[in-house]
Amino acid sequence: MSAENHIVIIGSGGAGSEAALTIRQRDPDCHITQITGSKLPFISRYELPQVFNGVSGWRELLAEPPEYYDKNQITVRRNSWVDHVDAKNKKVLLKHKEEVSYDKLLVASGGGGYLPEGLREFQPLMNGFGTYEQAVKVRQALPKKGHVIMLGGDMTGLDLARTLVAVGHRVSLVVGEQLFWPHEVTDDQRAKFVSVLEDMGIKVMIDKKVTAVKLGGRGKPARRVVFDGGGGIDGDVVMPFCGLMPSLNFMIGADVDIERGLLVNPELKTTNDSIWAAGDVCQIWSPEENSYLFYYGWHYIKEMGKIAAINMTGGKKKISTYQDDHLYINKQGEIDSPYWMYR
Amino acid sequence: MTRNGGKETDIQIAICGSAGDGTIAAGDILKRAMAKAGYKVIAFDVYPPEIRGFGKCISRVRVKSEQAFSLKPLSDVLISLDDSHAIPHVVEVKEFGAVIYEDTPVSMIPEGGHISGHLLSSHIPYGVPFRELSERVTSSARSRNITAVGYLAGLYGMPREVFYDVISDKFKTKPASLTRISIEAFDAAYVVGQDTFRLDEGFLNPPPNKARNGDLMMMSGNGAIARGCMDAGLDTFFGYPITPATTIMERLATELPAKGKRMLQTEDEISAISAAIGAAYAGARAATATSGPGFALMSEMMGLGVMAEVPVVIFVSQRGGPSTGMPTKTEQSDLNIAVFGSAGDGQRIVLAPTNVEGCYKCAGKAFEIAERYQTPVVVLLDLYLSNRYEAVELPANNPFKANCSKPTGKLKKNQPYHRFEITRDFISPRAIPGDKGFRHTVTGLEHDENGRPNDHVHQEMSHKRHEKLLPVARHPGITMSKRFGDKGKVDVAIIGWGSTFGEILEAMIAAREEGIRCAAMKVVLLSPLPLGPINALLGDARKVLVPELNYEGQFANLLTGATGRLVTKLNRVTGTPMHVQDILDEIRRLAGKKKGRQLAAE
Repeated sequence: MSAENHIVIIGSGGAGSEAALTIRQRDPDCHITQITGSKLPFISRYELPQVFNGVSGWRELLAEPPEYYDKNQITVRRNSWVDHVDAKNKKVLLKHKEEVSYDKLLVASGGGGYLPEGLREFQPLMNGFGTYEQAVKVRQALPKKGHVIMLGGDMTGLDLARTLVAVGHRVSLVVGEQLFWPHEVTDDQRAKFVSVLEDMGIKVMIDKKVTAVKLGGRGKPARRVVFDGGGGIDGDVVMPFCGLMPSLNFMIGADVDIERGLLVNPELKTTNDSIWAAGDVCQIWSPEENSYLFYYGWHYIKEMGKIAAINMTGGKKKISTYQDDHLYINKQGEIDSPYWMYR
Repeated sequence: MTRNGGKETDIQIAICGSAGDGTIAAGDILKRAMAKAGYKVIAFDVYPPEIRGFGKCISRVRVKSEQAFSLKPLSDVLISLDDSHAIPHVVEVKEFGAVIYEDTPVSMIPEGGHISGHLLSSHIPYGVPFRELSERVTSSARSRNITAVGYLAGLYGMPREVFYDVISDKFKTKPASLTRISIEAFDAAYVVGQDTFRLDEGFLNPPPNKARNGDLMMMSGNGAIARGCMDAGLDTFFGYPITPATTIMERLATELPAKGKRMLQTEDEISAISAAIGAAYAGARAATATSGPGFALMSEMMGLGVMAEVPVVIFVSQRGGPSTGMPTKTEQSDLNIAVFGSAGDGQRIVLAPTNVEGCYKCAGKAFEIAERYQTPVVVLLDLYLSNRYEAVELPANNPFKANCSKPTGKLKKNQPYHRFEITRDFISPRAIPGDKGFRHTVTGLEHDENGRPNDHVHQEMSHKRHEKLLPVARHPGITMSKRFGDKGKVDVAIIGWGSTFGEILEAMIAAREEGIRCAAMKVVLLSPLPLGPINALLGDARKVLVPELNYEGQFANLLTGATGRLVTKLNRVTGTPMHVQDILDEIRRLAGKKKGRQLAAE
C-alpha cells in the first residue's frame, strides 16, 4: 500500500464518518482509511435505543449501507485497535502488529463511557450502552416489564430511559453529579427537569450515594444497588450513564499536546502539522473563554468532522466556538436542547 | 444450537492456510464432526503439489440439513490460518458472512498484510488469538488449527462431544497425550467462541432426526471407490502412484492385505494394467487406478483387454491436462481417451459417478459389469470427486454380487470349448485357465471363436464385441441415467456427467424456482451411451445445455455424434469446479430470461 496521499482516520463515529465523506467529495483520488474497533459499519449511538423498539437486527440501524463505503472508496478497517501513533514516521501501529502509513491523520476516536472511581470495581455487574452488542445484551437481560437502574443520568441515558419506559420497562434513576451531562443546569432548572422525568414515569432517586452493585438474591432480580447508610434497590440491569471520557491513550507520546482531550485550534489542527482531531476526543481553543473546551452534541460533532476534513484537504475554515447548549422543555413536554437529537 | 426461524441449515465454511498449518486436518475434523452430528456434508480440499511449508491449502465444508449436491461459490465463513493465502479468498465470502483470523501474530506484519484490511464492508470480522490460545494450553503454537475449529464450533453452537470423538479417533494411533491436549486446545477456543457476540448471518439449526437404513459415513470419492472395491470382493490391485488417484491405492494397500489379498505397486502404469489384465484373465477380480497421463500409457493394454475380452476395472481420476498438466486441479478432459483411447475399434464400458455415493456403487458394480460383459470397465472420476467428502449412507447389506461371468455349463464328451463363441447375446461362456476341460487360447490378434488368429472373421468378431455391450444400460442395481426436474416438454434440458452434475442439479433447481421449465439428466454410462432415455429428453427439450470441465466439449461432441442433436456447450477449464451461477445464467439465456446480474440490478 502506498503511503502517498493517504488520509487515515482513527474512529468511525459521527465525526470520522462525516470527515471521510467530506474528504472524498473534495479529493476523489486520495486513499482514505478509517480504523475502528467496531465490528460493524457505523451505527450512531443515538440510534441504539431502537433495539428496544422493534428493531430486529443491526442492519436496520446502519447509518449507511455497506456498499456506501465501496462506492466512496473508503476503506474501513473494523475490529482494529490502535496501539500507538508514531508521529515522527507518520505511522499508526495497530495492536495486531501492522503499521499503517499516513500523510495526514485525523483522530476522531470519540469517548468511552466514564465510570466514577467508586463504581469501577463493580463494572462487571453493569451493562454499557455504547455499541450495538451492548444494547442487545441489555435487551436480552431484561425480562418483560423489566427494571433498569440507571446511575448518573447523562443525556444518552435519559434518551434510552424514554424508550424503555415507552416499551413497558421500569426505569429508576439514581441521580449523580452527571445528571443532564453535558448540559450545565441551575438548581431551579434541575428541579423542573426532574419533575418532567417523573412525569414520564421514571423513578428519580436524589441524594442517594451508591456504595456497591451486587448480584441479586435468590428469587430476586439479577442485581442489587446498595446505598450509603443502608438500603438499596433491586433491578434486572444496572447501567452507568456518567458522561464520556475521551479515548486517546494511544496518542500519548505522539507529539501532540493533551490536556483531558487532544488540544486543537479552531481549525481543528493539533500541535502536530499532520494531525487533526474532531469529535468527543478533542478540546477546542475558545478565544471567548480563553481556554480549551469540549463541545458535544450530534450536530456539532458532525460539523467538527466536516471542518477538519476541509482543512485537511487544503481549506482554511474555523469552527464556531459558540454553542447554544441550553436545555428546555419542548411543546411535547419533553426535555430538549438545540443540539441533542431525539427521535 | 442457534435457531433461525426454522430455516434449513446451509452453511459453508472455508479454512485457508499454508501447507503445514494443519488446514486440511482442521477441515477434516470439522466435516467428520458435522456428519457425526447428523448433518449432510459435502467437502472439498485444494492443496498444492509442493512439499510442506509452501503453497496454499483450502478446505471447504458445506453443512446442510438436506442433501447437498455441490459446494457453494461463496462461503458463509472464512477462517484464515495464513493471511497471505487467505486474502485473495475474502471475495469468496458472502455478504454479511464471517471472516475469522489470527489477531495476535508473533511478529510485525507488512503494511496491507493483515486480512482485516481486506474485508468487504459487509463482512463481519472476528479476530481470535489462535496462537496464544494454543500456546496457553499446549505450550506450543502447533494446535492453532484445532483452536480455529474450536472457536468456530463455539461461535455457532456446534455440539462439542462430536468433536471430542472425531479428535480422539484422528489421533488414536498417536500418544494419548496428543488427544488430550488437542481436546484442551479445542475447548479453550470453544469457550471464546461461545462468548463472542455473533453478528454474521450464518446459523446452524439442529440436524433433522431421520431414521437410517445403513451407516452414515463421511467419505471421500476415492475412499468410496476403495470401499466399493472391498465390498465387491476385489482380489488384487496393481498401481503406480499419481495424483489424484493415489489415495485409492494407499487405502487398498492397508485393506487388501488385512483380508489376505494382494496389492502391488508396480514400476509404472503399463505394468500395472498389464498385471491387472493378467490377474483378471486368471479369474481374479482385479483393478488398477490412475490419472490421465497414466491412462495414456495404459491405452495399448486397454486394446488387449477389449480384444481378449478380459474383465478388468480401471479407475481414472482426471486432472488438468494434457501431459503433466495441472496435477492438483480438477478437469473432465479425459472423456475422449476413456471412451476411444486405444488402437482399433476398441469399445469398452465407461462409467462416471456423479457423487461420492455413486463412487461406491460404480466401483462395486464395475466388477459385476466387467465380468458379465467380459471387457474392461473404466470408472471415470476427477479430482473434485476423488477428493471431496460427503456424508453417505451405505446400504446395510452388501449390494454387490460375486462372479457374474456367464457360466460354461458342462461340456459333452469330446465337445470342444469355444472361448469366444458367438452366442445369441454375443456373450461367450467364460472359463478361466485351469478349469478342467476348458483349454483355450487368448491373443491380442484378431481371432476366431476358438481364439486362433484369423483375419477373416474381423467383421463378425467386431460385431460381437460391440453388440454384447448394448444391454449394459439395463444392468441391475445401478442407475445409468436419471432425469430430474420438470416432466414433459421443457425449455431447457441440461445434460451432464461426473462431478459437475451436482452444480447442474443446483442450477436446475434454482431455475425452476424462477419459473423456467427445465429438466436435468445425469449420464453415468458414458459408453455405450444409454440412448433411449437421452433421446427421450432431447425430444422434450427446446434447448439442450451441456456444462463440463473441459475446453472442447467432449461430452457434448459425444452426444451430438450419437444423436445428431446440436447442443449448447458450456465449458470451463479453470481447474476449479463449475460455478452454479454460470450454469444458471446460461439456462436463463437459453430460456430467454435475463442473467442473474441483470435481474439483481433491476
